[in-house]
Amino acid sequence: MSERFGLRLRVALFFVALALAGVAVIAGALWVGHARYGGPLDGYVIAGLIAGFAVAGLCAWVGFLFDENLARPILGLASDLHTRARANVDSAIDVGQARYLGALAPAATAIHDALEEARAAQARAVERETAQINREKALFAALLQDLAEGAVVVNSEGRIMLYNRVARDLLGELGLDRRISAFLRIEPVQHAIDRLTARRGRGEAEAESFMAATVDGERFLLGRLSPVTLQDERIGHVLIFHDATDDLKAHAERDHLFNTLLEQVRRPAAAISALLDVLEADPEMPEGMRAKMRAGMSEEMDKLFAQLRASGEAYGAATARRWPMAAVAVRDIFDALAARDIAEMTFEPGEQFLHCDGFAVIGLLALVLDGMAQGGGRAGLTLSAEPRDGEIWLTIGWDGEEAPDGLLDSWVRRNVSEAYGQYTGRDVLEMHRTEIWSETLGRGHRIVLPLPAAGAPILAPRDARPEFYDFQLSQQGAGDLADRPLAELSFVVFDTETTGLSPAGGDEIVQISGVRVLNGRILTGEVFDRLVHPGRPIPPASTAVHKITDAMVEDAPAIDAVGNAFHGFCEGAVLVAHNAPFDMAFLRRKEAAIGLRFENPVLCTVLLSAALFEHTGQHTLDALAERFGITIPEELRHTALGDAMATAEVFVQMLEVMRSRGIETLGQAIEAGQRMTRIRKAQDY
Amino acid sequence: MSEKSVLLVEDEDNIALALEVLIGRRGYRLRRVSDGDQAVAALAQERPDLVVLDVMLPNRSGYEICQHIRKNAALKDVKVLLMTAAGGEVERRKGLALGADAFMTKPFATSELTDEISQLLGETADE
Repeated sequence: MSERFGLRLRVALFFVALALAGVAVIAGALWVGHARYGGPLDGYVIAGLIAGFAVAGLCAWVGFLFDENLARPILGLASDLHTRARANVDSAIDVGQARYLGALAPAATAIHDALEEARAAQARAVERETAQINREKALFAALLQDLAEGAVVVNSEGRIMLYNRVARDLLGELGLDRRISAFLRIEPVQHAIDRLTARRGRGEAEAESFMAATVDGERFLLGRLSPVTLQDERIGHVLIFHDATDDLKAHAERDHLFNTLLEQVRRPAAAISALLDVLEADPEMPEGMRAKMRAGMSEEMDKLFAQLRASGEAYGAATARRWPMAAVAVRDIFDALAARDIAEMTFEPGEQFLHCDGFAVIGLLALVLDGMAQGGGRAGLTLSAEPRDGEIWLTIGWDGEEAPDGLLDSWVRRNVSEAYGQYTGRDVLEMHRTEIWSETLGRGHRIVLPLPAAGAPILAPRDARPEFYDFQLSQQGAGDLADRPLAELSFVVFDTETTGLSPAGGDEIVQISGVRVLNGRILTGEVFDRLVHPGRPIPPASTAVHKITDAMVEDAPAIDAVGNAFHGFCEGAVLVAHNAPFDMAFLRRKEAAIGLRFENPVLCTVLLSAALFEHTGQHTLDALAERFGITIPEELRHTALGDAMATAEVFVQMLEVMRSRGIETLGQAIEAGQRMTRIRKAQDY
Repeated sequence: MSEKSVLLVEDEDNIALALEVLIGRRGYRLRRVSDGDQAVAALAQERPDLVVLDVMLPNRSGYEICQHIRKNAALKDVKVLLMTAAGGEVERRKGLALGADAFMTKPFATSELTDEISQLLGETADE
């Protein structure tokens, strides 16, 4: 009853009933009066009519007042409260309309205020959290980006969860969820993990170091490994490493040089010493013999000199090749010297760059300028930079008293800076393998400091791609597709059958089927349906589900060939699957074998269902099919193609629902799914 | 051969001994000093045609003597041959920048040195 009639109708009906009852009572009373005492009937009828109309009018009037002042305000208030419960309405509840409802209106206003306050607090909290997360994210991204070392985080199975650009430069085309062992010869790292575990067991907490070669053996990496623990459980490892190839090579080269030098010097030295001894010991030796011995000594001497010269040159070449110093702008060096305010001087900086330790060179030049300023008699100090094949000569020119080498040497023998400790200008020169001298040009003098020139640093555009990832299907690869309307995209809805549920535990794909969806239509003529030889037996429990037996896959090609073909089938399409992370995990693991990466954007119908419908309900393929009135023929259920087809039909229906919910682009759809991932995770864990 | 004079500035006695004999045998008049200050004094006393200078010397470095010669008008035509055992490209370049005519790294065959000396003094004779 209360559901069938609204409040106002019920109030109206109540007063109609009251009027009818009043009229009936009056009519009854008049009838009794007439029956008992008689008299003219007309009088009774007129009295009855007047009283009846009066009662009916009174009821109508009071009923109208009830409707106006009680029923309508209650409905208004109820509707206001409903709206506020569902949506965020800022305007206060209109209390005027409910002035006859007594304490109800203030109570409703109190609820409104409390709700508004709670919502505002929640919004502020979310805003604060979001800002905090963004700050941390930016910091983390910058840290990873600018790290000179390669950084990789692997999970306990050795799969990559995170990497930075340097790691990619060193190891090649790294991919998330790929095994680190595909890029690095893993044994030394594994050994380091074992050592780390042993040390943790003894309560030591330091990181473990390792040296490992890249898979192609081209590079040697030297690094440190530390554990990632969450609630006392080791969930992965962080590898921080740098390229030690050149260091090791240079070290080996110098060792070799030194050993060769020793050996090649010892031989002639031994010969000369022996010959000299013989000559000394026997003054009676015949002249012919004596001459022969002298010739021998002279020959050995030549060998010795030749060897010393060759070693000197080789050493010079070996040390000159490697210059591990940063490129520093000449302008920056001069600016720093100007800031020290040592003496009156002018600067003629160019736009050149030097390979040097900027701080040390500034310190060295400051020592020289200090010396010049203290001595007096020197004026018109000018600093300039002069390019000279492969070098930049930093010069200090002046007029007046010269600076002899001895004096200059005494200046540069002082300590460069407190910060560098017992480190003199002479050490700076040696570290930079250069010299400093003063020369006289015409009427002025100048001090020259040659340093190797560097090319201007390449101003590489900052890589905007975030280099760290979470473990969901990322928006990576959506690229310019993200902003395109869903209606314009082509989709491949696919399903895989496998030997089991654990891609990491050695389970393999036995069948891949997919169907293309374009413009909201399933292209039934464009299907992909292949069996795959899993390279292992299919457990009977799995065969019971998908009906694929070992015999059926006996002659099927392996995953590399089928995966390659499927990759081609998916070209340019968005991948869609029911519980996509599962299927993608199998595919991604095979990327190395296939030799191609599945970089397509991915949508998951489970997540979309959760986003579109209440996220607590059932999202199995059967439940979704039932929701959309789709029947899966029993013989096709749990075949890859049957499930892919059913998923495609569900997905096509979902496209309609998404459009009606304002989800129009791929980016929005992925975002909706990811929101669900978070909610589901928050619920599950 | 004319009476050219050579000033040898070398603090190591053994090599000085050998060089004295070698240079003397070539018919040059030779004086030897063993540190930087003595070298400056010897230069003031009598202008030589050639100075054979070791870089590492007590009191004043060979570089400084070289500078001293180059800025002194009276010593304008004096040839300078710098020698060092710490011989790298860096030292060689500094030496030549400071006005040395030749630079030799120890050890060297004595014949190389005497050839270099003859060449330097021969050029002087040609002018």
